[in-house]
Amino acid sequence: MLNETAIKELQEIRSKYPSARSALLPAIYVAQREFGWLSEEAYEAVSEVLGVPKAIARGVGAFYAMYKHRPMGRNIIQLCTNVSCMILGAERLADYLKSHYGLVPGGTTEDGRFSLVIMECIGACGTAPAMLVNDEFYENLSEQYIEEILAKFT
Amino acid sequence: MITVTINEKEITLEKPITVLEAARSAGISIPTLCYHPALERYGGCRLCLVEVEKMPRLQTACTLMTADGMIVRTETDAIAGVRRGILEFLLINHPLDCPYCDKAGECELQDLVEKYGPTTGRFKEKKRKMPESLEDAIIVRNMERCIVCTRCVRMCEGVQGASAIAVMERGGHSHIEPFSGGKYDCEYCGNCISVCPVGAIMSRMHRHSYRPWQMTDQVETICPYCGVGCTVTAQVRDDAIKRIIPKLGSPVNNGLLCSRGRFGYEFVGNRDRLTRPLIRKNGVLEESTWEEAIHRVTQKLGEIKEKYGSSSVAGIASPRCTNEDNYVFQKFMRVTIGTHNIDSTARTGYAGAQQFIENIFGQGATANIISGISRSDVVFVVGGDPTTVNPILGLQIRACSRKGGAVLTLGKVSGLRYFSPHALDPASFTETVLLEGIVTELKNRKELSGSHSSLESNIKDIAVSVEDVIKECKIREDDFHSFITLLSEASNPVLIIGKEIIQSNGASYKLLLLSAINYLINGRIYLLSERANEQGLLDMGCASDLLPGSRPVEVAELRRRYERAWHVTLPDKPGLTLFEMIHGAKEGSVRAMYVMGENPLFNLPNSENVKEALGNLDFLVVQDLFMTETAESADVVLPALSWAEKEGTFTNMERRIQKLRKVISRAGKEDWRIISDVSGNMGVSFPYDSAEDVFAEISKVSPLHRDLTYDDIEEGEALWPFKGEPLRGGMEISCNKGDGATESGKYFLAIDRPLFHSGTLSRKSSALMRLCPEAVARISSTTAAELSVTDGDSIRISTRIGSLSLPVFIDEAYDGSLIKVSNNFRGKGVFSLMEYSLDPVLKSPCMDNVIIEIEKSDRHVQRDPKNDSEVKK
Repeated sequence: MLNETAIKELQEIRSKYPSARSALLPAIYVAQREFGWLSEEAYEAVSEVLGVPKAIARGVGAFYAMYKHRPMGRNIIQLCTNVSCMILGAERLADYLKSHYGLVPGGTTEDGRFSLVIMECIGACGTAPAMLVNDEFYENLSEQYIEEILAKFT
Repeated sequence: MITVTINEKEITLEKPITVLEAARSAGISIPTLCYHPALERYGGCRLCLVEVEKMPRLQTACTLMTADGMIVRTETDAIAGVRRGILEFLLINHPLDCPYCDKAGECELQDLVEKYGPTTGRFKEKKRKMPESLEDAIIVRNMERCIVCTRCVRMCEGVQGASAIAVMERGGHSHIEPFSGGKYDCEYCGNCISVCPVGAIMSRMHRHSYRPWQMTDQVETICPYCGVGCTVTAQVRDDAIKRIIPKLGSPVNNGLLCSRGRFGYEFVGNRDRLTRPLIRKNGVLEESTWEEAIHRVTQKLGEIKEKYGSSSVAGIASPRCTNEDNYVFQKFMRVTIGTHNIDSTARTGYAGAQQFIENIFGQGATANIISGISRSDVVFVVGGDPTTVNPILGLQIRACSRKGGAVLTLGKVSGLRYFSPHALDPASFTETVLLEGIVTELKNRKELSGSHSSLESNIKDIAVSVEDVIKECKIREDDFHSFITLLSEASNPVLIIGKEIIQSNGASYKLLLLSAINYLINGRIYLLSERANEQGLLDMGCASDLLPGSRPVEVAELRRRYERAWHVTLPDKPGLTLFEMIHGAKEGSVRAMYVMGENPLFNLPNSENVKEALGNLDFLVVQDLFMTETAESADVVLPALSWAEKEGTFTNMERRIQKLRKVISRAGKEDWRIISDVSGNMGVSFPYDSAEDVFAEISKVSPLHRDLTYDDIEEGEALWPFKGEPLRGGMEISCNKGDGATESGKYFLAIDRPLFHSGTLSRKSSALMRLCPEAVARISSTTAAELSVTDGDSIRISTRIGSLSLPVFIDEAYDGSLIKVSNNFRGKGVFSLMEYSLDPVLKSPCMDNVIIEIEKSDRHVQRDPKNDSEVKK
């Protein structure tokens, strides 16, 4: 179940939208944050607070690829491998993540610290290669720089 | 006027409709897949694309509205190419496993590909793999066959209102799934099965046991379960019902069914059906012949009548039997036996409530059209969950809400939780105060018009202040005021009354208050009815105080009509009501009882008391389909034909008389024929060869059914007030406020009326037993926490008269200190625990104040329906 702060947050979100259904997307983000991923419990919590049938909530969530549809690590690395990044060595960086952290695309480290997602262009072609860690953006990546960045996340 | 030209044919239309509808009305066919007349328009499959002059690109005919002067072409080379292309796309992932698929033969995709489609596909990629899901007990999902037309989702969400399934993921990965992936956990209406154009969502019942074209017969009849009276089509192969499907355009249910109606037919072919008459010899029921059994009944009833008088014999009629059965039965009791001792379980609520309301507003006050509910602007629900008692009526309430109407409920109604933002949930036993408060406020706002003096004189002194209501009922003042505003400003309101309020203490006074509310807001009343022919049996005179056509027994002028028709003199006082019969049997004034299609030993509160009473009888005859609890203690048991095996009529709760048609044949006799045989043997022969003959007499004798024929009924002209003469209302009102005493207990027992069961019939239907295999105690999560129990634990519930150990079911959509137990399973019925007092006016039992003791008992082992003797066939 959600804690009271999260329930308040959902109700707050609900009040900004004309109908309960229109509040689903931001509400699902809150549940995802609270439960770590979009488990059945997460959708049930959203359904209960917003008063939207749970299958509808899950149907909306399941449409979007950027939600977490399976359990993931505490921090999500989203690495771009589109053209610019690829030319400037993104695939080498992916290999580095595999050899140093045991991270394969779509996988999670054994300690649950990181998950790796290969993502499409994030608009940083001029400063490639680039990635997101959680909501933070990093550019001009190198192996050494990645090691420095990831050290900040526990 | 709009004139459109489709394929050079000019079509004139009264009002704008879609191009598709216009074309079909003119006999021009346009292929569709996602379109379904019962569903919201979608425009998703693109098969209905047509060319419209002056419009760029092809247009979807199912969404495009006609406009004057429009010129449309539906069969051009370009369109044919597009159709072929779309079908080729649809077949990219479709497995084409038609030889193995149950849908083959009635598959819309198969038909379309055969007619328009490419014979070969050009795609070399592998088809997507999604294993068939057999996780659910009833519904099998095969998402490889799914074409994502979303008809099922639109049905589930937009019509059924259950919202149990949705499209998950997107693009090529799109598939339909219930919330938790495999099991449905829904209302199991199966309406998704009806609308699926391919074999993606299907019933598991009789899976792979038939092909659609192998059905030998298909018969339109009326559902045997609740009082809504849905039209069902039974499809038959080798004299066995293979499936029940709905029919679009049918008057009550218009293409929809509920779980009981669709999946509950298997009792008909259950191997436990009684086949031969049984006679008790040396204490044991033994098989015998019809001749011997009827002789025994005749002889014993004759003896008892001779020795103790006519009034020592009593009859219990059946709301599961047809009008014809019930008419003949009451005639047998009145003419052959010579007593008005005929009653039924309608006495447990429906009969008394209806008579009370009709005394005020006139006969037929509750005969309102069910489909009108969705067109009203305010629906006020009191005393139960219409979505489980009368599911198809419940859908009308949901539809009303969807169209912008307000749903008001007294107490929380689980089936309307996504539809009822206006619930007043008064503290236990304070409904009366709340209703008085509502009447007071409505009087303040609406003024009494003076048009109904007797009702007004009864309510003019009611005055309960808002403060008192708020304090006593523990509700919020804002909620109360918005409730009153919605009620008083409603232009076309309806009031739906369920048994929970009729079976509560002071029920007649509460009904007076509800009638007053109805009068003040100028609404229409609907009385929920649990049995298919509860209304019909009352109209047939199966009530101790009413003759056919619902004419009171005591009025000599009215009685004379029947005396002339039947050539007898009838007693001038009403007979014994159901509960008086039980009492009479217990104390010895009733010596013999004839029970037709009813199970009083199980279906009446305080079963132990009923058992004792029936045990005290000199002679008990039971006519039924199964060896019920009551039949087990009978002296003679007569096997009857079921609903599917006979002709006749049912009258539904809106008082629509509908025709039952024989679906399959079986050796045996209809209930009316058995009774005719007994009567003939007793020296009073009844001149009937068929159910139609019986109805012909009904239409002569009953002033309500005057001149009505089977032909009229077939043509759908048997709607209230038929061709007859209803009695006026405005009679003197007497009501009883109840003693107001409520015992203080922590937990109270209440009757659960589940969606999947009705009792005697449903527990002999394997699909319903799979959906709900055993009795449970439904409790709120608060109660669960207090008792420290979780799902799977058992509790022992004890009252002064008995105790039951039941697994708990924690219902999240429900709160409070009520413990709800259903009355459906043998040996586990709530009525075995229920004490009652009788409402002096309605003569129905009040059962809302039953205190219980609860203790945690051993952990429950789930019963396996596969090894259940009640389910096996």
